[in-house]
Amino acid sequence: AVAAKMAALGGGGTRWRQAWLPTLQLLRRGSKAVTRHWKAMHLQRQKLMAVTEYLRPRPALPPRCLPRPSPQGQQEDGQARVLRRQVEETLRASRMVAVCQYNSMPDEDLATFRHYLRKHDIHVKFVLNEIVRPVLEQSKFRNLLPLFVCRNILLVSPEPRAREMLRVLRGVPQVNLLGACIDETILSRRGVENFAQLPSLEVSQGQTVAALSLLSSQTSSLLQRGPAHLTALLDEHIRRLRDTGGATEPPPG
Amino acid sequence: PAGPGGVAVPRAGLKKLALPPDYSGITIPEKPKLKFMDKVPAVPKVQREPRQLRDIRGPSQVATDFTEGQYGILALGGGYLHWGHFEMIRLTIGRSMDPKNMFAVWRVPAPSKPVTRKSLGHRMGGGKGPIDRYVTAVKSGRLVVEVGGHCEFGEVQPFLARVAQKLPFPAVPVSRESLQEMRREEEEKRLDNQNPWTFERVVTSNMLGMRKYLSPYDLQLKGRYWGKFFLKHRV
Repeated sequence: AVAAKMAALGGGGTRWRQAWLPTLQLLRRGSKAVTRHWKAMHLQRQKLMAVTEYLRPRPALPPRCLPRPSPQGQQEDGQARVLRRQVEETLRASRMVAVCQYNSMPDEDLATFRHYLRKHDIHVKFVLNEIVRPVLEQSKFRNLLPLFVCRNILLVSPEPRAREMLRVLRGVPQVNLLGACIDETILSRRGVENFAQLPSLEVSQGQTVAALSLLSSQTSSLLQRGPAHLTALLDEHIRRLRDTGGATEPPPG
Repeated sequence: PAGPGGVAVPRAGLKKLALPPDYSGITIPEKPKLKFMDKVPAVPKVQREPRQLRDIRGPSQVATDFTEGQYGILALGGGYLHWGHFEMIRLTIGRSMDPKNMFAVWRVPAPSKPVTRKSLGHRMGGGKGPIDRYVTAVKSGRLVVEVGGHCEFGEVQPFLARVAQKLPFPAVPVSRESLQEMRREEEEKRLDNQNPWTFERVVTSNMLGMRKYLSPYDLQLKGRYWGKFFLKHRV
């Protein structure tokens, strides 16, 4: 039996081998290992492939339920730095800063608008919110932050020329005044209108001086009121005496 | 960006100006177009060779990485390329590329393996047929052509995709970065697989006597290859 087995195996050598090759391999199945078509797999192999498939890791909490990570590692854009510096300089150098909402205007109208404002020494600056917001947060204009939401422009000027600005803005419907910061005082739209109706600085200074010196100007007339009254009474008395009798000599004095 | 009231206010932000790509280290050779490949090698073979389909099976060990160019076509399956394919590749790429700024390089040798074919309509028997044509064997994971020069992947990808579609095996256009990305993803997938039972583990330890139904080559192929096909979704 052993000899027959050896012969059937075709072992070649005479030594008894533990490992053996099956005589009838799977050559019955027809095609070779590498075929042009998709060779059908043995069922056991199909089962093995199904069992050993890739399973995706599923975290207990899906990543979309977690808070979104803030964008980190944003490269500092040189252009953004330049624009930020420009905004800081304009804010520092101007006494009046007005924030207006800007809706798109025709180009020629925009040019006319800028021309009229430039005549009163008011400069128009287009600003991007993403640049202005960090600048404002660090500066003293923190309370102007809620104004910088939509598309807006800044009207800056070294002098507080509110009346001329309002006159020009009234003629342009596409630009709406939202708020202003004049001489480090934040004003709303109504506040700017009231500010515009105020008299100018020189006139108000003169008025203040006049009000203060009113009492002192009245002092001299107050002091002279007694003797002036006496003088008036005596004059009246003389007049009456002259009228009554010219013969009677006036009393000495 | 939320406006007042929590309503999102869409806006265009500052334009991010990206620098143009730097092509300083890339020189375009004198003959930028693909070389002509012969149909038959200079010394045609007299002795007909056995089929040896094992040169199609499994992953490729040669020409798996980029050498000169930046973009190429990666084979995702095994197959034979004959002269017709070579001409198609040469002419399409030659037509679509700009020889002043781009160059292309073959990564497969000229056809050298003789393939026989019996005349049509005859019965089996009568010996091996005469040599019909010569082919080159390509295994999966091999680069077929490489393209480089002062160009970006977006310029090169359309015509490489058209060429890749016409090849006898599945192929994709790749760049250096995309190939690296592909390999990294594969590695990640292998590492974060939640299934404790992997093909490799079952085969190497012969669990349940599985090796009776598997080939000894499956120890190296690890269930990712079946015949000439490359199973991309496995592990």
